Amino acid sequence: MSDEAKPSSGEHKSGLVYEAARSLHSTAVKDLLSLGVCERCIFRLVSVEPFDSDLSSVSASTLRSWLESGDEEDASSSCSRVCIVCLGVLQLVFSDAKQTLVRSECGSDYAARIMDLVKEEGHEFDSFALEVSVPSTIVENERAVLFYLKGKYNSEGWVQSEKISVKDALKVLVLDPLKASLGAKSDSSSFHIRLTYSKASDEAQSASETTKHERKKRKTGEENGSTCMSENSFEKVYEPCILSVHCNKMPIFFSGRYFKYSRNVSQSRWIIDDERMGEASVEEIIGGNILPACFGDSYKFHAAGREDIDVRMLGSGRPFLVEVQNSRKCPSQESLMEIEEKINNSEKKLVGVKDLKFIGSQCWAMMREGEAEKQKQYAALVWISRPLEEKDINSITALKELKILQKTPVRVLHRRSPLERERTIHWMKVEKIKGSSHYFLLHLCTQAGTYIKEFVHGDLGRTSPSMGSILGCRAEIIQLDVTDVKMGDS
Amino acid sequence: MLFSFFTNSFTEEFKFQKHDRHLQLNTRSKTNLIPKKLKIEIFQSSLHQEEDEDELRKLLLSDIGELTLSPPSATQVNFVSYFITDFTKPGHDHYIYRHANGLCVVGLAPTHIAFKDQGGITNIDFNVGKSDRSVLKVSGKRKKNAMRSESNTALCKVSTAIDSYIVRCCVKGSLLEVNERLIKQPQLLNSSADREGYIAIIMPRPADWTKNKESLITLEEYKDKKQDGLLEPCLL
Repeated sequence: MSDEAKPSSGEHKSGLVYEAARSLHSTAVKDLLSLGVCERCIFRLVSVEPFDSDLSSVSASTLRSWLESGDEEDASSSCSRVCIVCLGVLQLVFSDAKQTLVRSECGSDYAARIMDLVKEEGHEFDSFALEVSVPSTIVENERAVLFYLKGKYNSEGWVQSEKISVKDALKVLVLDPLKASLGAKSDSSSFHIRLTYSKASDEAQSASETTKHERKKRKTGEENGSTCMSENSFEKVYEPCILSVHCNKMPIFFSGRYFKYSRNVSQSRWIIDDERMGEASVEEIIGGNILPACFGDSYKFHAAGREDIDVRMLGSGRPFLVEVQNSRKCPSQESLMEIEEKINNSEKKLVGVKDLKFIGSQCWAMMREGEAEKQKQYAALVWISRPLEEKDINSITALKELKILQKTPVRVLHRRSPLERERTIHWMKVEKIKGSSHYFLLHLCTQAGTYIKEFVHGDLGRTSPSMGSILGCRAEIIQLDVTDVKMGDS
Repeated sequence: MLFSFFTNSFTEEFKFQKHDRHLQLNTRSKTNLIPKKLKIEIFQSSLHQEEDEDELRKLLLSDIGELTLSPPSATQVNFVSYFITDFTKPGHDHYIYRHANGLCVVGLAPTHIAFKDQGGITNIDFNVGKSDRSVLKVSGKRKKNAMRSESNTALCKVSTAIDSYIVRCCVKGSLLEVNERLIKQPQLLNSSADREGYIAIIMPRPADWTKNKESLITLEEYKDKKQDGLLEPCLL
């Protein structure tokens, strides 16, 4: 037996672990083993040395034989029992989604299992961040065990040192093998692998029933400061935890400018009483084409401002961002060009896209850029109740930086605060229309947030001055187009 | 940016030469200080800009359909007109313009007896009932502090040289706004009662509206009913 217990001479790492194992306080070790604490937890709790990744390559049974000072009777029996502290987490034992028990001998073995689960999700990545989540019972049980150890061995040096948590210990054990098997670096990456351990369901149910009772008993136990491990101060768990592996990639962003050529297309999906308003939506046309190329879960559409369903977006286009959640692949610039062409050459020509590209974390800054200075240019087809005269054109063109006061338009008053907003019309130009003296094209450049329709028809006199009040007659807006959205320098 | 300065001056020049597709540089212009290669580049980018602007103009103008002599007004397009006649008293006819979002604009219908008085309406007073309706301050999306009104709650009192008449809400709901411009300009009621002379904006609850609607009549019904009276088409 003693020959098997000694490590082979080539294994330097195992040798270090062997030495460490032999140096642990033997009474404490036996004590914890009899309580049902697993080998790696004993290392965590009793050793003065930091919990090392060398431990990863040593199997639990080998560890056990090194910890025990020749008491072979205990060797075989307790291996299959779940540790009272880590609930099997550090024993590298878990139940998978199909309720099958999965045991791993060492860190590499475990990493291989995890790798299979990660590959199923289909993400492309070259770096990852590992996150571990464990049930709270582990923390509570550990506290109870530590309290007991402090009570019994309070004179020993190793009792007072800072103990590594189960979560961090697992990371230490599996991070390097995981890096090797996935072929990726580990850093604060945008790709997260989350290992979630949860208690086996039947235990969870009984736990919730008795939790309050248990907690109370535990508290009184602590106050009394016993030197014996009372059975009531920790929760007994008989089954290993269920492990679920989730991979999540942080959202990626694409930017561009869109054009809206149709007067029956809303910017975002608009559904009232199960019926869609308008033919389609810009959001769905653009996002719906980008999402499949990324193999993502979902998308969010953000635009720098919006226009009504019956207003066309022409000129230089409106900047937008598409945010894709949990993308599996990042499309290349070529595939983005293809998507752009596909949208622009589609049969119906409802929406156009330009400058579609992948954008990094500066995307929000780009959207916010020049928000206060944002100016918008429009072209409105206006009708007035009397014929247009030359002096009208002159008086309109002469108005520069015209300040107007707009009360919240009636058409949005149901969902916006009733306020009076001051806005500026920077300049206006009149373009006569052949064959009609009552209609003209009004080009105007206004401050962001101006309601153009209300500026033309006056909104029952709640916007003043209005086109009608300036010309001294009734004015109506027939149709509106956005001709430019200025964004800072671009 | 350097380019934009040059292109602006260029487009001004080229506007005169637009008919001539082979645009030639006017050597006597200020452009002869710029190196030839740069001139060509600026040339092309301003041409491009010209093309873009032309494209835009084409798009803008192509969409203009038939220009009717008198298009429907914003009120007619966005609101559904309802009327209530002889409300609480004979001759008290009101209109209720309901927007698609549920808000109701309430005012005096053209056949209201106040208009029959010589000189029309001369004064309006919102201080009726228990409070002055013109001082209410509704705030926020949830329309806090809005006065809850019944259909017969008094809104204001309009006075003519002869008599004064109480105008009521006609719609049960929250009073969001009264047209306080009328206080200083009561003649708006005479000139355009259906637009700038509106009295108030009320937000009814969907359930209240469904019940309320039953006592209202449509524009057609109103026209039929008041055939004897003087109805100017533009007011409708």
